[in-house]
Amino acid sequence: MPKETTTEDVPIVKQKNTDEAVEAGLARLTPERIKTTINQVLENETGPKFKAYVETCMHCGLCAEACLYFLSNDRDPSYSPAGKVKQTIWEMLEKKGDVSTDFLRRAVHIAHTECNVCKRCSMYCPFGIDIAYLMLMVRRICHKLEITPLYIQDTVNSHSATMNQMWVKEDEWIDTLQWQEEDAREEFENLRIPLDKVGADIMYSVIAPEPKFQAGLIYQAATIMHAAGIDWTMPSSPGWDNSNMAMFTGDNEISGRIARAFYETAARLKVKRIVMGECGHAFRSIYDVGNRWVGWAMPPFEVVHAIEFYHQLLTSGRITIADKYKKTVTLHDPCNVSRGRGLHDMAREVTNMVCDSFIEMTPNREHNYCCGAGGGVINCGPPYKGERMINNRVKAEQLKATGAEVLIAPCHNCHSGLEDIVHHYDLNMEVKFLGDIIFETMEKKIFNPGD
Amino acid sequence: MTRTLVFMGFILFLFTAVVAFSNTEPGTDELERLDTSAFEKPQRPGAVFGHDDHNEMAGIEDCDVCHHVYDGKNRVEGESSEDSPCSECHSLKANPENLISLSVAYHKRCRNCHFETNKGPVLCGECHIK
Amino acid sequence: MNAFIAFIMGPMVWIAFLIFILGLIFKLVVIIKDVNARESYVYSYLSVKYSLRSIFAWLIPFFPQSTRQSPVFYAISYIFHLLLFIVPVFLMSHIVLVNEAFQLSWFALDDTLADILTVIVVLALVFFAVRRQTVPEVKYLTSFNDYVLLIIVALPFITGFLAYHQFFFYRQMVIAHVISGELVLILIPFSKFSHMVMAPLTRAYMGSEFGNVRHAKDW
Ligand code: HEM
Ligand code: HEM
Ligand code: SF4
Ligand code: SF4
Ligand code: SF4
Repeated sequence: MPKETTTEDVPIVKQKNTDEAVEAGLARLTPERIKTTINQVLENETGPKFKAYVETCMHCGLCAEACLYFLSNDRDPSYSPAGKVKQTIWEMLEKKGDVSTDFLRRAVHIAHTECNVCKRCSMYCPFGIDIAYLMLMVRRICHKLEITPLYIQDTVNSHSATMNQMWVKEDEWIDTLQWQEEDAREEFENLRIPLDKVGADIMYSVIAPEPKFQAGLIYQAATIMHAAGIDWTMPSSPGWDNSNMAMFTGDNEISGRIARAFYETAARLKVKRIVMGECGHAFRSIYDVGNRWVGWAMPPFEVVHAIEFYHQLLTSGRITIADKYKKTVTLHDPCNVSRGRGLHDMAREVTNMVCDSFIEMTPNREHNYCCGAGGGVINCGPPYKGERMINNRVKAEQLKATGAEVLIAPCHNCHSGLEDIVHHYDLNMEVKFLGDIIFETMEKKIFNPGD
Repeated sequence: MTRTLVFMGFILFLFTAVVAFSNTEPGTDELERLDTSAFEKPQRPGAVFGHDDHNEMAGIEDCDVCHHVYDGKNRVEGESSEDSPCSECHSLKANPENLISLSVAYHKRCRNCHFETNKGPVLCGECHIK
Repeated sequence: MNAFIAFIMGPMVWIAFLIFILGLIFKLVVIIKDVNARESYVYSYLSVKYSLRSIFAWLIPFFPQSTRQSPVFYAISYIFHLLLFIVPVFLMSHIVLVNEAFQLSWFALDDTLADILTVIVVLALVFFAVRRQTVPEVKYLTSFNDYVLLIIVALPFITGFLAYHQFFFYRQMVIAHVISGELVLILIPFSKFSHMVMAPLTRAYMGSEFGNVRHAKDW
């Protein structure tokens, strides 16, 4: 008889990182506070949906196949979607909230750094159980216990104080826009970045990292808008940032404030629709999540993601491509706009309109693997970066198999996450936004309906 | 441990299955059985029924308890039907003329009485002995 | 003894079926009330079209990606769930009993075929148990209760099989069979077996979110 091995016998010995905020938070906790907080959230902030998900799960493990963490860690069951629920929610329920700080250290790690809330698993569970929702519930508990990881908590603090994610001050914001306007005028003489133009067709919105680190993207966007002859505007006041990290930390109150400020800005400018840059989670915030917090089933404005916008510009001839992009490209489907909004086919069409040779990566479309950075995981910062690289080995393998020179990632989070992956696994790929390529290949002339 | 148990259970189950399928003749031919020739494709062996022993034990003297005669809905008192097979009235399938099919007639006749008197077999295999 | 058998094969069957059906209805009513009271936003997203789209997509064998990735398990599970209903509903011995009680009858399986199908059901359950032991990600999720569920479903099939073959303790076996069959029916609304009604609900909601909001497929 071979020696029995059970999961109890073989604990998963793996270094799990933590950070000062988590540790300091844990040190402040008392057993009573843990218990009352957990029970308060599980009893008062959930409902029949939560109950159905917990009760209906047949422990069949089929969701495992969906999760990049499970697949990247040699099928370690503790990374399977239901496995993560077992280590968090099930145990909280079983112990009626009476859990230790060690348990919480593990729980916060799982919910914040071992799940991208990408919902791929909901497509693999025969019941359609929403594991991402359960993980967000764990994050909500961690938020209420004040043990949210340091870096992502900082972004929420920034949101709370400035209504943007990166502590960008109001004058800094306006300066940046004017600076980009000035630079872009070298390309187009009369180019403007119209601020606060009431009644414009389009409000263009970006995430705070753009003015902070990647101002060139605003330049590109302005050029494209100008060339396409769009009646557009950008707000000068807080509410310009469409990102929302609070939605990922379970700080629903701040998340609601952010979304409200954003829609109110669009309302103040009386625009017809909102167009946003290439970002996935920001899209999720203003298209799917934020609106629910301020009481709208669907967003009060038409929200158009860059992919869809480029598609419109290219198919309507407002932008023409001078010379198609020559390098071989592959396309990463950002979860939040493919599985989250079905833009994957448009993304392919846009890619084919601007690039010569497009190589598909598999799995793709709704079934893409997340970049591993999304859902606030990358925002937990440097302490967790090493793990993040290990946890998305499948993405690296998937990228490598395409053999493409350029990787298009039409999402900020994906972009940064994939750059890390490409670097860590020596994949020797250039990571680009669709906008980068369009900017590079388009004819720099102003659209004239008569032409 | 549990793995061993499951494995042993599995073996036991296979074993039973093999025995089950090979074991068609348990040697009960000598038993007196009801004639099943009226059934097109009898699924079970005819019910074991020793007519005289049964009636002696059960103290049944009137034949028409079982071998009754009906005229429409009403039983015809004093007449009995020992000479005709049950299937003459009770067709294989219930029909407007006779609502009680042959098998139901048998089952009800036997089981209802056994339930009422709290004596005798009432389960399928207690009559349809293999 | 016959009186006891008369009870478990008579009134107790009524009781079991009533608990089974009323229990499921009760469960649905509680959920609907709960949704109305606490999560009425669900109705803003729920759509008949997308609910049915998702449910049907998931009913087609080997259509969803997930089923193609674990074909053996899904095939067995599919067969198991079908037979779970087909065997008892179309079993000659069951129909005979219904026929005697209500003059109702319908197509019956050949006894030998039903017997083979019964063995298949039990083998499927054995497969589930072995899978719980051997596949790490399933083992990790498995607790004692999951085996109890498997045993509870297996009981009516095993006892029915043993009774049909009249191997031993025939009378006791049928009694055990009837009681275990009734137990399964009674437990369905109050255990994880209630996934029978929960599955369409959770699928409908996820299907609606994917169809209505996400404009994407969920299979
Ligand atoms: C609710 C009350 C039930 C009653 C009164 C009942 C009655 C019976 C009877 C009298 C037999 C025949 C035994 C023989 O041939 O000697 C039988 C067989 C069987 N029953 Fe039931 N049953 C019930 C519920 C169930 C349920 C819920 C299931 C399945 C979920 C089930 C599955 C079976 C099977 C699989 C067999 C035998 C098949 C074979 O021939 O191997 N029964 N049942
Ligand atoms: C229409 C009704 C039902 C549906 C749609 C359904 C669906 C499912 C699904 C989706 C699973 C998850 C894994 C898999 O795909 O097999 C499952 C597992 C299971 N179901 Fe059902 N089910 C139904 C009725 C029932 C009933 C009535 C029972 C028992 C009385 C049952 C017993 C089981 C068992 C034991 C498992 C677990 C298998 C394992 O251990 O992996 N199901 N069912
Ligand atoms: S939501 Fe995505 S990352 Fe999270 S468990 Fe599911 S598949 Fe894994
Ligand atoms: S696939 Fe669904 S039912 Fe199965 S273990 Fe995962 S969450 Fe639970
Ligand atoms: S960062 Fe990109 S791939 Fe990752 S969750 Fe967000 S959208 Fe998905």
